[in-house]
Amino acid sequence: MPDNAKRRAARTRIEEKRAAEAAARARAQRRQRTLIGAIIAAVVVVAAVVVAIVVQNSRTATASDAAVPANTVDSGQVIVVGQTSAPVTIDLYEDFQCPVCQKFESTTGSTLASLVSAGTVQLHYHGMAFLDTSANDKYSTRALNAAAAVVNAAGPDAYQKFHDLLYANQPAEGGSGLTDDQLISYAQQAGASGTAVEKAVRDLTYGDWVKQVTDQASKDGVTGTPTVKVDGKTLESTQLTPAGVTAAVQAAQG
Amino acid sequence: MGWNRSAVAPWLATAARLLVGGVFLVAGLLKIPDPAAAVRAVRAYRLLPEALVAPVAFGLPIVEIAVGLALIVGVFVRTAAIASAVLLVVYLVGVGSAWARGLAIDCGCFGGGGAIAKADTAYPTEVLRDSALLLVALALARWPRSRLALGGRPLPDEEFARAR
Repeated sequence: MPDNAKRRAARTRIEEKRAAEAAARARAQRRQRTLIGAIIAAVVVVAAVVVAIVVQNSRTATASDAAVPANTVDSGQVIVVGQTSAPVTIDLYEDFQCPVCQKFESTTGSTLASLVSAGTVQLHYHGMAFLDTSANDKYSTRALNAAAAVVNAAGPDAYQKFHDLLYANQPAEGGSGLTDDQLISYAQQAGASGTAVEKAVRDLTYGDWVKQVTDQASKDGVTGTPTVKVDGKTLESTQLTPAGVTAAVQAAQG
Repeated sequence: MGWNRSAVAPWLATAARLLVGGVFLVAGLLKIPDPAAAVRAVRAYRLLPEALVAPVAFGLPIVEIAVGLALIVGVFVRTAAIASAVLLVVYLVGVGSAWARGLAIDCGCFGGGGAIAKADTAYPTEVLRDSALLLVALALARWPRSRLALGGRPLPDEEFARAR
């Protein structure tokens, strides 16, 4: 074999070896870069999660000394209408912007009213406000806050009237909601007037209370409105009629 | 003619990345503006103890956003695809168990959730959607190499261009 050919073969071997080494170095470098990148990414994600938990916690936090409306029970969470001696309790979870609640109130509200006046039923109103939008200027919250101002100033019967007025005049879902002025005027019609009520409506005095009762309803296992419980038993949506409620009340009386 | 599999597969992987990544990014972002609703949505499943409800409601959207971003820009694609598959399995278990227990809840997949104004649940749609996404995510975890990716090993014909 001529020297030239040998030399060429040796050179090729060396070049191949060098190329393989360079490739191995590049692989190792890439692996290291990937590892460093992965560590940084993991740290960033964990930090972002921690920051999000802290920030969102503070956004949902309510003041421990939040204003609670007077004339309520269960540490201010519930508005009770009707006689204490009534044998049956109906718990109502409603949002003032909820159209199904409006339908329920228009068909079955009078049935509830006569059951209350007959002394058969005591109503426990639990407010909820989860249909706030920017279009309705947080109407769910503003309406429930106004209702709290009404019960605080004029008691449960005025709350009942105000509640009925708001459902009778419910703004369309997706619409702009009632204005504070309209809420104040319905509050007056219900029997709650004066600068204190007006101020409470405009300043969202019971805003934190609204958050708290909405959260409490969720803790009570309520996942939709209207939720109607007759002596603790949740009615099916097909029972949300005058006949359905009447039958459930009779069954509860035994 | 005929399809050249090795030419088409990376583009399919790119489409899979954008689909799964886009869904996760949007799903995460929509849960940020109303944290109280996120808490109610998680609580409505009645699966977690109360102490864990808020951390999950606040932390999970960030994880979704991170997974979505990674898939969209194309870094740590296999890890992100596996993470998205794990999350989808968790969601399927959650939705399936809510369905089985007869709870009437909105899944809260894209914000909102928990309380719903009407008792109209959409479990079949939710399960179908999550299952379809799960299949795509698993395929992506198996074949993560794709076009238009920021990270990862370059494809053979990209090697030269990148080396320079």
